[in-house]
Parts: sequence; C-alpha cells; structure tokens
Amino acid sequence: MAEAAAWKELLHPQDRRSTEAVGPVRVLAGVHALNQARSLTRVMEAVASGMAKLETHVPAMVLVVDAGSRDGTLEAARSVAQTFPATQPVRCVRVAGPASRNRAVQAILGVANHVRASACLLVDAGLVGLSPEGIQQLVGPLFTGEARYVMPAYTHTPSEGTLTTNLLAPMARALFGWRIQQLLGGCVGLSRSFIERLLDAEVWESDATEHGAEISLVVESLALGGGIVEAHLGRKRMDPGLVPPDLSTTLAGTVGPLFHMMDRHYDTWASIRRSKPTPRVGDSPSILAETGEAQVERMVHAFKLGLKDLLPVWEQVMPEDTLGLLYPLGPLPMEEFRFPPGPWARVVCDFALAFHQRRLPRDQLLRALTPLYLGRVAAFLLEAQGRPPTELAILLERIGQAFEDEKGYLSARWR
Amino acid sequence: MREAWTDIIVTSFREVVHRLGLVAPRVLAMLALVILGWIVASIARRFVVRVLRAADLDGRCTRWGVTASLARGGIRQSSSMLLGRLIFWAIFLVALLMGIEALEMPATTGLVAVAVGFFPHVVVASLVLLAGWLLANFMAQAVLIGAVNAQLPMAPLIAGSIRWLVLIFAAAAALTQLGIAREMVLLTFGIAFGGTVLALALAFGLGGKDLAREFLENRLRKQDEDTLTHV
Repeated sequence: MAEAAAWKELLHPQDRRSTEAVGPVRVLAGVHALNQARSLTRVMEAVASGMAKLETHVPAMVLVVDAGSRDGTLEAARSVAQTFPATQPVRCVRVAGPASRNRAVQAILGVANHVRASACLLVDAGLVGLSPEGIQQLVGPLFTGEARYVMPAYTHTPSEGTLTTNLLAPMARALFGWRIQQLLGGCVGLSRSFIERLLDAEVWESDATEHGAEISLVVESLALGGGIVEAHLGRKRMDPGLVPPDLSTTLAGTVGPLFHMMDRHYDTWASIRRSKPTPRVGDSPSILAETGEAQVERMVHAFKLGLKDLLPVWEQVMPEDTLGLLYPLGPLPMEEFRFPPGPWARVVCDFALAFHQRRLPRDQLLRALTPLYLGRVAAFLLEAQGRPPTELAILLERIGQAFEDEKGYLSARWR
Repeated sequence: MREAWTDIIVTSFREVVHRLGLVAPRVLAMLALVILGWIVASIARRFVVRVLRAADLDGRCTRWGVTASLARGGIRQSSSMLLGRLIFWAIFLVALLMGIEALEMPATTGLVAVAVGFFPHVVVASLVLLAGWLLANFMAQAVLIGAVNAQLPMAPLIAGSIRWLVLIFAAAAALTQLGIAREMVLLTFGIAFGGTVLALALAFGLGGKDLAREFLENRLRKQDEDTLTHV
C-alpha cells in the first residue's frame, strides 16, 4: 500500500522496527510533541493511567512521537517510559526529516493502521488537563461503534477559546451542519475505518501548520457526515509555560487550514442547508461567567487602527457593501463599541472567498484579518460582561446562527 | 540679366524636383512600412489577446495576485490586454525603425542595427523593473499588514518607504543594465541609500527615542495584558 510506505518513511528504521515489534493492539494512544518536554511527562502519565483503566483484556499501546523537538522531549519521554510497568508497551520515536507536527500525527495514524488498532487517540503533549477518565470517554464511543470520531467539549469562560467560539466553530457549523464546540481540542479519538480513509485521503499535503493536521482531521470527519460524538472533558488546560505564537500567526495557522479544506469539500458543504446538534457522551459542558473585567481597550484600538491604515488591503478582500458595515464602527467610543455577529460573519465569508479566489497572497490575506478579529472579540467580551451563563449560551448560538445565515451569500459567490 | 535670372529659377526648380524625385519613393516606402506595421501590429494584438483569454490568463493572473498588483500600480487593464498592447508596440516600433532606415538619411543609417543590438538590454531592464515593481508591492503590503498588526503608528508611511526603496533599487538596477550613466547611477544610489539609512537611524535614535521606548513598553505590557486563549 502506498500509504503504508508513506508512514514508514516518516520514522527512522530503528523506530519503525520497534513499533512494528509490538504486534496487533486494540487501542493505540498517540502523543505528539514538539518542544514540550516539560508537559509531556504529565500527559504521558495521564494517558498511560487512562489506558490501564480500560478493560484488562484490551491490548493497548502508548506511542509518543516527537515531531522534531530541540528541547530534549524525546529523551524525557524515554525516561518516563521506563517507569511504566512492562505489561504496558510504550514506544517513543522521532519523525525523520524536518520538524512538523503534521508529520508526527501522520506517523501515529500510520502506526495505528499497521498494528490494526480499532481505536486511536491523538493527544497533544501540551494538554496537561487531560485526565485518565477523559481517555476513557474518548475511547468509549469508538469501542461501541457509536462513533468514528470523538472530539472533546470543554467547560469554558467567554475569554477562553475566542477564535474557536467566534470563527472556527460557527464557520464549521455553517459549512458542514454540525454544531460542534471544538476544532482544536488538543485530543481526539478515531476509529479504524476513519484512519484508513484518512491515510488514503489527500489531506496531508494541505497545510503543514501547527494546527493544520488537527483542523484537517475534524473537517474530514465533518464532511463525511455522521459518526461524530463530543465528550465533555471538563476544563481545557494547556501547559501554561507554552509560549503561543503571535496572534497573526495563530490566525494564519488555524483559519488557513479551514479555508483550505473548504476548497476540498465544496461539493459537500454547498449542499448542506441546516445544522444539527452533535451527539454527546457524558454531561453537557457549561459556560462559566467571566470573573474578571474584560480588557478590551487594546483590541478596540487595534480594530480602529486597522480601519484607518489597512483599508487599501481590505478593499481588495471585501466589497463596498461589507466595508459599509464596518465604517460606522470606527467612531464608536470604547464603552459603546459593537461588532455584531452578522457583519462579522459576512467579513469571514468575504475572507474565505478571497482566499479561494487568491485575491491576495494567502498568508497576507489571513494576517489582514487580525484587527477585524480583535474588534469582534472585543465586542463579544463587552457583550458577555456581567451576563449569567444561560445568556452566554444564547450569545454563542447567535454567532452560529449568523454564520448559517451568511452561507447563502458564500455559496452564491463561490466559483 | 533677365535670362540669367530665369536660368537660376529654372535650375533651382529642376534641382528641387530632381531631389524630390529621389526622396519621394523613400518617403512612400517609409509610409508604407509604417502603415503595414500598424496593420500587422493590430492584427497581432487581437490574436494575442484572444489566445491569452482562451488560455484564461486573466483568471490565472487574478489568482496569482498579479492583477491586484497591477491595480495597485494604477493599471486597471486586464493582463491579456496589457500583453496585447506590448506586442502591438513592439511590432510597430520595429516597423517604425524599418521605415526610418528606408529613408536612407545619413543621420539614421545603421539605426536598426543599433536598436536591435540594444533590444536585449531593454528587455532585461524591463523585466528587472517589472520584478522590482511586483516585489515592491508585495513587500509594502506585507510590511503594512505586519506594522498594523503590531499596532505601530504610521504604518502606511513605513510601508510606503519600503515600496519606494525597492522601486528605486530596481530602477537603479535597470539603468545599470541599460548602461546609462552607470557610475553616476551607482554613486547616486549609494549616496541616497546610505543617506536614507543614516537619516532614519539618527531620526529614530535622537528624535524618536521616546517613541521607541513607548513602543517597547507597550509591546512588553501587551504580553502581560494578553490573557486571552484564542484556541
């Protein structure tokens, strides 16, 4: 098989041999890490503990794939692996070639396919909040055949995951008709049939960004239709020591892959009209009220600066009608600042169209979205301020609905 | 006296008629070449435009960002029309040179040979200018977006400076390629570039030190304030 050869090229020969020696397993938990030596120990322990709690007759394996770290991640992983009982196979390997999380994920899926795992978990080595119970929740629906893709849902405050709540999730909902909460949850569970499909699909050439693989997996899963389940895993806690890239890079690395996948799945999303809730295991995640006061001055300032200085770029992306929705927002004083979901959804659709039609170099286009995104987040936080949790859910629903309302506009202009 | 005067008039007239008789065919040949060149150039332009449109050059240029770059430079024509016009003027220019050569005037003898010999330099210089112009627009836009995202004041001024710097560099390279006042161009460019860098360094170091401090403080403070988790 061509795809089998592909994953084998991702690992060094000795690493490949060590994984192949394990033999068939039923569950494979793959931890992908890139310069995450500090948090990896904790995540590995949680994963191993969760795997140990699965039914005793389930052969399982933990595979740590270093995506090309320079901070001793692989050595740390091997050191932790030695503390695990001999009955629990753990393999720590490094991808060959240039550092890439995308390649690490691909290698995990390739190994999972090779060892004929019925279920595979993909876990980001920075997800320190993952509990052993969370592992069980991710694996459970895969064992029962209830799902081929299990994604996490988290309890969160309005200021957590603002890119997800204001852009990624509502856009995915409008496109593929599933009201999902997370596109970048840091962990997912995949069935064997879905892994085979992924290895055959041409998703790996798309965007080799930090989050590219995760977004590609979710979108592939959504585009297939049913078989998606959300599992509530509590609060999402990533390693606080991780230094995130600057906001523009984050936007380019997350929105870019989503827009890229829109090209690939046009035939699917163009025919979907309405959204439906995603099936869920466990209790529902809640939205917590914000405890502190939203610091939005700088975000509003960034938006206004963009409206003043970045207009020549935005004019190449958005038509006059959309820009006309933005002009009145410029003079608004900070405390009255509003950027409603409707105009925001229209802006995102125009950026998706410009990305598709290559009206600008794509990286520049995505980075030019930054001031608009900050304006929207400021408006969202101002609106969410002081509201009870029940009303926060309504706010989020309104954003999702706004994106669904703009889908006709998007489809009509997509060519 | 009267006969001598008549002789002079008649001789002059004959001389003029004789000379006109010598020049007229050349002038007619020149006019014929120019008109023929115009016709051939027009046909070639239409043909090229049709072929390029059939090959979807306009769509490709839009996708590659060339159309947007041209629009930013004030050129609103489609890429196929632009190339068509380029072909037109190239053919017409050749016909014009041939026409001038046909006049066989001492001042224009060998003009075609010189022009043909110079042509490769013109092509290379044009390509250098085109590449410089595209690069200038690309870099200026990237700098503008980066500067606005970093919330720098006067982002358009910074982006504009970058655009002109690249354009001037491209123009200097093109002039050097053409061999026009090579030493002067190099010297002028060196002085202008060095002077600009020095002026900017002094301006920022002396006049803008408060601005620089404020900017750095804001950047550091921003990191503290940025408690959002975007993903």
